[in-house]
Amino acid sequence: MKILIADDDPISRRLLEKTLRRAGYDVVAVPDGMAAAEQLCIQDGPRLALLDWEMPELDGPAVCREVRKKKDQGYVYMILLTSKGLKTDIVTGLSSGADDYLTKPFDSGELKARLRTGERILHLEGRLVEARENMRFKATHDSLTSLFNRGVIVELLGREISRSRRERVPTAILLCDVDHFKRVNDTHGHRIGDEVLQEAARRLLLSVRSYDYVGRYGGEEFLIILNNCDPASAPRRAEEIRKSLSDAPVQTSVGPLSVTLSMGVHQTKNWGVRSVEELLHEVDVAMYAAKAAGRNRISFTKPDVSSDAECLAPTEPAQSLP
Amino acid sequence: MNVATPSVLNLTELLSRVDNDRELVSELFFIFKSVFPSHLQRLRDAVAKELPKQVATESHALKGMLLNLSGVRAAALAADLENMALEGKIAGMREVLTGFQSEVETLLLQMESIESQR
Repeated sequence: MKILIADDDPISRRLLEKTLRRAGYDVVAVPDGMAAAEQLCIQDGPRLALLDWEMPELDGPAVCREVRKKKDQGYVYMILLTSKGLKTDIVTGLSSGADDYLTKPFDSGELKARLRTGERILHLEGRLVEARENMRFKATHDSLTSLFNRGVIVELLGREISRSRRERVPTAILLCDVDHFKRVNDTHGHRIGDEVLQEAARRLLLSVRSYDYVGRYGGEEFLIILNNCDPASAPRRAEEIRKSLSDAPVQTSVGPLSVTLSMGVHQTKNWGVRSVEELLHEVDVAMYAAKAAGRNRISFTKPDVSSDAECLAPTEPAQSLP
Repeated sequence: MNVATPSVLNLTELLSRVDNDRELVSELFFIFKSVFPSHLQRLRDAVAKELPKQVATESHALKGMLLNLSGVRAAALAADLENMALEGKIAGMREVLTGFQSEVETLLLQMESIESQR
């Protein structure tokens, strides 16, 4: 584990460095408080620190205060080294944000025991953060495909439409449905159906840019949001996504299966005053048009609206790509 | 090994704190001999100019080093100087400083003696 030693006394610094290296720590040693605060505030900096109380520029308690100001980083466990033994000093040190203190000259056994306490706290914090991240992931992602779940992808669509309206940049909404998915389930069982969905999700994710969004909208439906998607390139990109599934069979436990997508696409920067629900309905209508036209194809909604009246008018699918 | 004057430098205690690492002890002695003269000079200047804040800073730094080296008596005198400075007691500082210097000279001799017996 990485540990920071900050002490302007070269004897103390060397003594600590040698003791801690021998105990297996990866030691970073600095001679003043400024360097200590800098080290402790960088990404992937040490999470365990031994700080001398009296140092030039920033003393130990001031370093603690600086580090505690940073809310966006992992916890740093800090021990103040002091030859001050008065209760008021100890209270001052702990009030500054230090977790513990150690009196100089230190006993190596006591030092290691106190550092182990720090490690236990950091380990516990790590487990809590991991648990929180797991819960956050579960709350926002579909458990089968690991894509965004319906709630999140619809929320992202709302945000993206607002941004598109505000910045006058085009966005494309793609609603994809796996063709004849019921037949896959009925013929091969739900386990194979799940394998198909997982592979479809993987291919969709691979076929978009890192800043586009892909989510599982329903059973075998996927919603894709292509940010800043140039109007001229939207059909090509939709076609690439469609082909990502149709070009190669999906390898399942029962062998390769041909899987295709029908897709409805809505692409514009003139969203008018329509709600997200209305837009989703329009793209859903386009997707069903692609199904009706023979499946494994793309259908576009009316490309643009220029007034509220047109916004509210029913949108007809404009064209279908095979 | 000559440890006849343990109160000047308590080698047993020092060795126990460094897990009996005599090489490290030697390295710490070397560091002390390198940095001590400049600290002492600053302490002398501060005492001569009667600057209690500087006296406190320098004597505190020396006290820390000496405690780490188990130089108990010299550390106690450095602590006396620090306390006098913090309390603003200028009178008597020169006398304590003289005693401190003498104590450190003895300590340095003992370090030499320990080193020569390695």
